[in-house]
Amino acid sequence: MVECRSLIPDEHRLIIHGMVDRPLIFTMDDLKRFPSVSEIRFLECPANGGMEWKAPQMEGLQFTHGMLSCCEWTGVRLSTLLAEVGVKPEGKWILAEGADGAAMTRSIPMDKALDDAIVVYAQNGEALRGEQGYPIRLMNPGWEGNTSIKWLRRLEVGDQPYYQREETSKYTDLLPDGRARKFSFEQECNSVITSPCPEVPLKKKGWYEFEGIAWSGKGKIKGVDISFDGGVTWRPAPIKGIVIEKCLTRFSYMYNWQGEPLLIQSRAWDETGYVQPTFKQLRAIRGGNSIYHRNAIHTWKVHSDGSVQNAQLA
Amino acid sequence: MRNLHNINQTRKTKIKAMKPFKLLLTSTLLVLAGCSQTSNQEASGPQVESGATSQNNLPATYSIGKPVAAEVIAGWDIDVRPDGMGLPEGSGSVEDGETLFEDKCSMCHGSFGEGVDAWPKLAGGADTLTEARPEKTIGSFWPYASTLWDYIHRAMPFPAPQSLSADETYAITAYVLYLNDIVEDDFVLSKANFTSIEMPNKDGFYVDDRPDTNNTRCMKDCKDATSIKVILGPKYSLGNTEAVTKSAETKTEHPGRSIYEGVCKVCHGSGVAGAPKLDDAEQWASRISKGNDVLYSSALEGLNAMPAKGGRTDLSDEAVKQAVDFMLHQINQ
Repeated sequence: MVECRSLIPDEHRLIIHGMVDRPLIFTMDDLKRFPSVSEIRFLECPANGGMEWKAPQMEGLQFTHGMLSCCEWTGVRLSTLLAEVGVKPEGKWILAEGADGAAMTRSIPMDKALDDAIVVYAQNGEALRGEQGYPIRLMNPGWEGNTSIKWLRRLEVGDQPYYQREETSKYTDLLPDGRARKFSFEQECNSVITSPCPEVPLKKKGWYEFEGIAWSGKGKIKGVDISFDGGVTWRPAPIKGIVIEKCLTRFSYMYNWQGEPLLIQSRAWDETGYVQPTFKQLRAIRGGNSIYHRNAIHTWKVHSDGSVQNAQLA
Repeated sequence: MRNLHNINQTRKTKIKAMKPFKLLLTSTLLVLAGCSQTSNQEASGPQVESGATSQNNLPATYSIGKPVAAEVIAGWDIDVRPDGMGLPEGSGSVEDGETLFEDKCSMCHGSFGEGVDAWPKLAGGADTLTEARPEKTIGSFWPYASTLWDYIHRAMPFPAPQSLSADETYAITAYVLYLNDIVEDDFVLSKANFTSIEMPNKDGFYVDDRPDTNNTRCMKDCKDATSIKVILGPKYSLGNTEAVTKSAETKTEHPGRSIYEGVCKVCHGSGVAGAPKLDDAEQWASRISKGNDVLYSSALEGLNAMPAKGGRTDLSDEAVKQAVDFMLHQINQ
């Protein structure tokens, strides 16, 4: 069994084979000679918030939305490597495989591979860390984090998906009629208020900057609305800083709190026009057993003592 | 062509992004030039291709990377697809699978695939997918038998993945199919008959058709305020003093704990495969009486069902000894 942290970069290889004109094997030095890209992208587990399909069960923000990050990723476009091996016209899917003990795999459609997937070797300007897939990982921007295979060692081009364990038994979304969605790759538009939250209560009356983050796997965040009364009334919340596609985007709203109880919510929408759904809307279609992709509008209850509690609205 | 198009896009972006930097360099050169005796000609510096949006002299491919022969690829290529692509020659019976399963799998999955503790249940759950608590097992949920073969061969058994031969994998796959009433007890699974296996839930999946919600940006009077029912989650308790003390203790924990948790616990936590349980001091008494060196060497070299270093030969001897120390520390507490 390979211990991921013991991978030696000089010995690590990436092989690309299958329906290609020239199967090739690359060393780390080889990969670094190709033109590189550096992009800031979020990475999120599709099961982020998955414990809350049936009821609010988590105590705080770290547990309702914590399986999410945003970093600068540096590497070679997968399209560059695919041009090097020459994909045959029949090549429609790519199996990506890691060098971990379980040799984890996912099937990636060719369109994504040619669009914006990256074979990454650096994160925030330093070599990938062991836990992040050192020395290389796949990065599929905006897609469920599980597809961004760590410790990447093999890419096989084929004419159909491989139906691996992580795209059949897991990472499929069971719906109320007993059928399940497969290849539900995209992380749809989502947002959450990060202050206040259970971990960051209001300690006295007065003005506060209410802040949060919004993100969409489909592109740029267009805007965020904020509600203090459980979604009866909404106000646009100003966006802060640079807006980058498939990247965490900050919003804020100055609020003068005088001890009144609140039900605070944020509702983001993205450049495709998609508006983050209410939990009620999402549950009505998906039921309570789909585990993944719970991107509903989130509610925090602010009590009159300033403490904040996880909540859902029925 | 699409590849090339994308590459050009990328280069365009990259060069665009570099432009301000180049201009800055140029102006720095000019400023430096102004302070020195350098002639005007030199001060103009290298010509900046200010109009360039992409490099136009790039090859179609870079000829980086080494060609790889078919026999080398075969050593890497371990996946199996629903159409049977990737299956090696071989076969295995339900009967042989039962013995192998008992030996290599039942410690976690139970003798009949019922699942020990929280380890995955592999059988049962038929017709439960629409229930409030569906049981998604291989029989009730998995669409293809190839996934079963592939995953057993790739990732199982937990302490020693990729250690099973092709015949062993066929046999264990056959037994798991038998546990799910998909084949009879006298069935022999082979490369030749593999694609004839049909899983009960093969038609249970469809390709992602989201977006499936259509919310709009309603700004006021979006609902009746009096109709809102609030369901509260647990109160936040992780910030209190007790929790802080606990996490401070965690930081000074025994250095062997993480190895124990990640490697040893799978068997020594629940006592599977004849492993002495960590919380059963009686089971340990005779072992401890033999002295630490004997315990270390059992851990390093393996004993009975336990492989050397618990299957993790990549671990240093020191790390394994620390895990043993941690276990002794726990037993003596």
